[in-house]
Amino acid sequence: MIEVKNIYKQVNTAEGVLRILEDINLSVARSETLAIVGPSGSGKSTLLGILAGLDVPSTGSVSLDGHEITAMDEEGRAIVRAKTVGFVFQSFYLLPGLTALENVALPLELNGDDDALKTAAHYLERVGLNSRTTHYPRQLSGGEQQRVAVARAFACKPIILFADEPTGNLDTGTGEIINNLLFDLNNEEGTTLVLVTHEMNLAERCDRTMVLQLGCQVKDSSNTDLVSS
Amino acid sequence: MRSLKMLIRTWRGGDLGLILWSLVLAVAVVTSVSLLAERIDRALTKESSSFLAADLVVRSSKEAPLSWLREAENKGVNTAKMMSFPSIVFYGDDLHLASIKAVQASYPLRGSLKRSKIAFTRDESLIESVAYGPSKGEVWVDSRLLPLLNVDLGDEIELGDASLKITYILVEEPDGSSYSFIGARVLMNYADIPASGVIQPGSRVTYRYLMAADKQDNLDSYKSWLEPQLDVHDRLITPDQAQASISDTLDKGRRFLLLAGSIGVVLAGIALALASHHFASGQTKQVALLKSWGISANRVRALYLQQSLWLGFIGSIFGLLVGFIFHYFLLMIVQEWLPISLPLAGARPWIIGFTTGLVCLAGFTLPALWHLPAQSPLAVLRHEVITQPLSAAVRLLLGVGAIAGLLLWYSNNFVVSVAILSGFAISSITSVLIGLILLRLGMQYGRHMGSIWRLALTNLWRRRSQSLIQMIGFSGAIALLMIMVVVRTSLIDQWRFQLAEDAPNHFLLNVAPYELESVRSLVEDNNLDTAGWYAMVRGRMIAINGEPISDAQKDSHESFRRELNLSWTSDLPEGNKVAQGEWWDGIDLNKFADSESPLAPVSIEDDLAGELGLIMGDRIIFSVGGLTFEAEMVGTRSLNWDNMTPNFYFLFPEGLLEKYPRTSMTSLYIPPDKKLLVNDILQNYPTVQVIELDKIIKKIRTIVSQVTRGLEVMTLLILGCGILVMFAAVSLSMSERLQESAILRTLGSSRRLILGIQLIEFTTLGAMAGILASMGAEFSVAMLQRFIFDLPFSLHLWLWYTGPVLGGILVGALGVGYSRKAVALPPLELLRRL
Repeated sequence: MIEVKNIYKQVNTAEGVLRILEDINLSVARSETLAIVGPSGSGKSTLLGILAGLDVPSTGSVSLDGHEITAMDEEGRAIVRAKTVGFVFQSFYLLPGLTALENVALPLELNGDDDALKTAAHYLERVGLNSRTTHYPRQLSGGEQQRVAVARAFACKPIILFADEPTGNLDTGTGEIINNLLFDLNNEEGTTLVLVTHEMNLAERCDRTMVLQLGCQVKDSSNTDLVSS
Repeated sequence: MRSLKMLIRTWRGGDLGLILWSLVLAVAVVTSVSLLAERIDRALTKESSSFLAADLVVRSSKEAPLSWLREAENKGVNTAKMMSFPSIVFYGDDLHLASIKAVQASYPLRGSLKRSKIAFTRDESLIESVAYGPSKGEVWVDSRLLPLLNVDLGDEIELGDASLKITYILVEEPDGSSYSFIGARVLMNYADIPASGVIQPGSRVTYRYLMAADKQDNLDSYKSWLEPQLDVHDRLITPDQAQASISDTLDKGRRFLLLAGSIGVVLAGIALALASHHFASGQTKQVALLKSWGISANRVRALYLQQSLWLGFIGSIFGLLVGFIFHYFLLMIVQEWLPISLPLAGARPWIIGFTTGLVCLAGFTLPALWHLPAQSPLAVLRHEVITQPLSAAVRLLLGVGAIAGLLLWYSNNFVVSVAILSGFAISSITSVLIGLILLRLGMQYGRHMGSIWRLALTNLWRRRSQSLIQMIGFSGAIALLMIMVVVRTSLIDQWRFQLAEDAPNHFLLNVAPYELESVRSLVEDNNLDTAGWYAMVRGRMIAINGEPISDAQKDSHESFRRELNLSWTSDLPEGNKVAQGEWWDGIDLNKFADSESPLAPVSIEDDLAGELGLIMGDRIIFSVGGLTFEAEMVGTRSLNWDNMTPNFYFLFPEGLLEKYPRTSMTSLYIPPDKKLLVNDILQNYPTVQVIELDKIIKKIRTIVSQVTRGLEVMTLLILGCGILVMFAAVSLSMSERLQESAILRTLGSSRRLILGIQLIEFTTLGAMAGILASMGAEFSVAMLQRFIFDLPFSLHLWLWYTGPVLGGILVGALGVGYSRKAVALPPLELLRRL
């Protein structure tokens, strides 16, 4: 599903070349869940961006669902993202002028789905917000906003879902609800889930955990191994 | 339609409001100005037509051919023929050289004649307006003819072989305002001319061929047909040419409205640019989100372009509507000053308004959004990955290009456009340079002040890019407002000066030397001031540089054919300006007197000298009653025709023409309660001619008051645009300010401190912008007064303190009003909303 070979990412700064990622290799199978953990500045978000085709590595290759996105230009990657990828972000990214229902329906509508609103309503119901469909983001709590974002991500039926600190802005209780939703929907839809997190309890719920430190892959193992270690 | 749906959703997000309102206001300002200007223009053209008694006139030395009449009929144009000539009228043994005017039944085609049964009456209830002239066998005459011939209404006077009955006193002719140096008016029917036998080959007759049409197209078509038919004997006269003074007033009014409209568009453009910049900043995350979903850059571009077009379309339509309502509102306000019904406007104002909306959008909004499709989707993960917008220089260039194009289109005047743009550019560049110095100085002085001042002034310096953008926006708005006020005030002052209450409203002409002292005494006894007495002799040009005046020259200009008024004075008359050469004090007059054959230096009106093909040093031989003398052109003068004082085309030094037979003239103000003095003069001095201009002046005053009122209302509209710019500029930094305020509050700062910081920041910013605005306004006003409105330059001291005070108060109040949210909401709620 995801094949990553020898990824390096470096950027030029005033102080010289800064290496962000170094020789990352990774393979994620369909429906597998992977947590990327590590301290701040370890390159987690950069790696997520590269895996999702939002960014390109300096060298190395990334293949998503059989498409080698590192060989494509931005337009090509956009097509792959549209067919393959869904996102949940730490800061929700709901559009303020759209109701919860419209926020969920927007990516479907942009892809020409005539049943966008019906599908959106279904997923909002699935995340328990069927009574909040006409509410605007400012009228929803943080947890509710993230649930709308989760519904939006799954409504597009992505093959791979990338989540960047999905509970980072939420309290523990609300975060737990979101985590449950993510994993439940992941099970139901058979989606591959790649998430970046600081929270070990969230990482532990994934099939595998990859640990990054200063841009290097220090561990990639199943969670049974991680827990025991 | 998906893009429209997206636009509505974006609108609900709240960031589009300012863009839409800026657009609506730009279109509304231009539309209302264009509608108002065009309707008043059409109405006044119609009104001016009544000065001509027609829409168009051909003045000629020969009668209009039949083919002209036939073609006019074919094209749906009404016509009337008229002829005027001097002729002796008799009653018994009394005779008078009268000014005869013979008109066809259809005369006047525009306006009306006023007649009365009572001579010398001023009582409006005794005066009747009619749209026809005298019937066959009748004449209507000037009041003063009655004492001159000792006749009464009902008596028959003789003109050549015809006996014509006086049925009415002629009080006013629509086209009777031109000066006439011959006798009392006798208005008769054109059909009586053959029977009178007074017109013989070689008679000095001026023919006028009057034309008018209900449909402008018919008139235009006929005019196009007629123009090639005209020869050197014919002169086509339009309403504008007919009344140069009113035309000039209207033209200035038109230019001001245009300037107001342009300033409105510049202001709305600034607001639009700032609002669009603000909107685009808020859209980067959304674009990153869309792109993370796989929406391509082209798709994003198309989405924003379509939304922009919808916005432009909706904003323009709405702007047209608001403009229409506003122009209607303006009309309602000035209705009582409008004695005329206004014709409907054509399509042009609507086209101008709509195009303005689209051009503003293309010039200000699209450049601000241009970079959005290039936004990296990575920004959804890393906030710092923001694509840089088009460089400020490119955006400025596009904005200025759009405005320049519009200004040129509205004004069709390169100088106006350049003056406005240069004022704007100088104001902007100066704002950046001096603004930086002021911000830096503020920061340095702030260090030695209290904590609130220190924080506020440091903030301004820290955010100097934003502060400078805001300062340019503020100073632009304040400067343009001040330009409006100054130019409007100068124009109105000039008009009021020209048409001051005591401006001369009567001319006394043809005062013989033996009558001069007694007429002068009569005027002085009535405590009336004159514009000075000018003597003049009547002379004819007979040769130039030794060559007799040729027939071709005579055909080319009437001044070669007729007698001219030659006058003399030692001082340059008020309102005259030396255009070429020197006035008497700059030349050696003795040189002329001492030359072998004595020469007279002459100063000629500048335009006339050009029309006659005269250049400096040309020698002209004049004939005065058969006696000749030679003059050398030593200078030209430009004259002010608006001030109602005597003007002369040919002026000589004193001591040269006094030996020739002469008469005197003056102009003076006769108040309404002393109007009967005119009767005294006419009855006691029958040869003296009185030209009454009071009615024309009243008409000009009415028009000026209409235009003035319109200008005042327009100033209010522009004020609205200025406030919009301020809103846009304030909102530009507001989210950052609110965020900082929220953080300060979480750290325990009081509401007073936060509002205090905002108050000092905005007031200081406004005051600094005001200083810059005063400089820009003074410069622009100087340019406009010098090159556009032909007004003298003057320094406006009040600008220099009004600018900073106005800027500080307005911007301070606006900023604090906007910032209240920062203290009204709990900090967490505020941070969440941001």
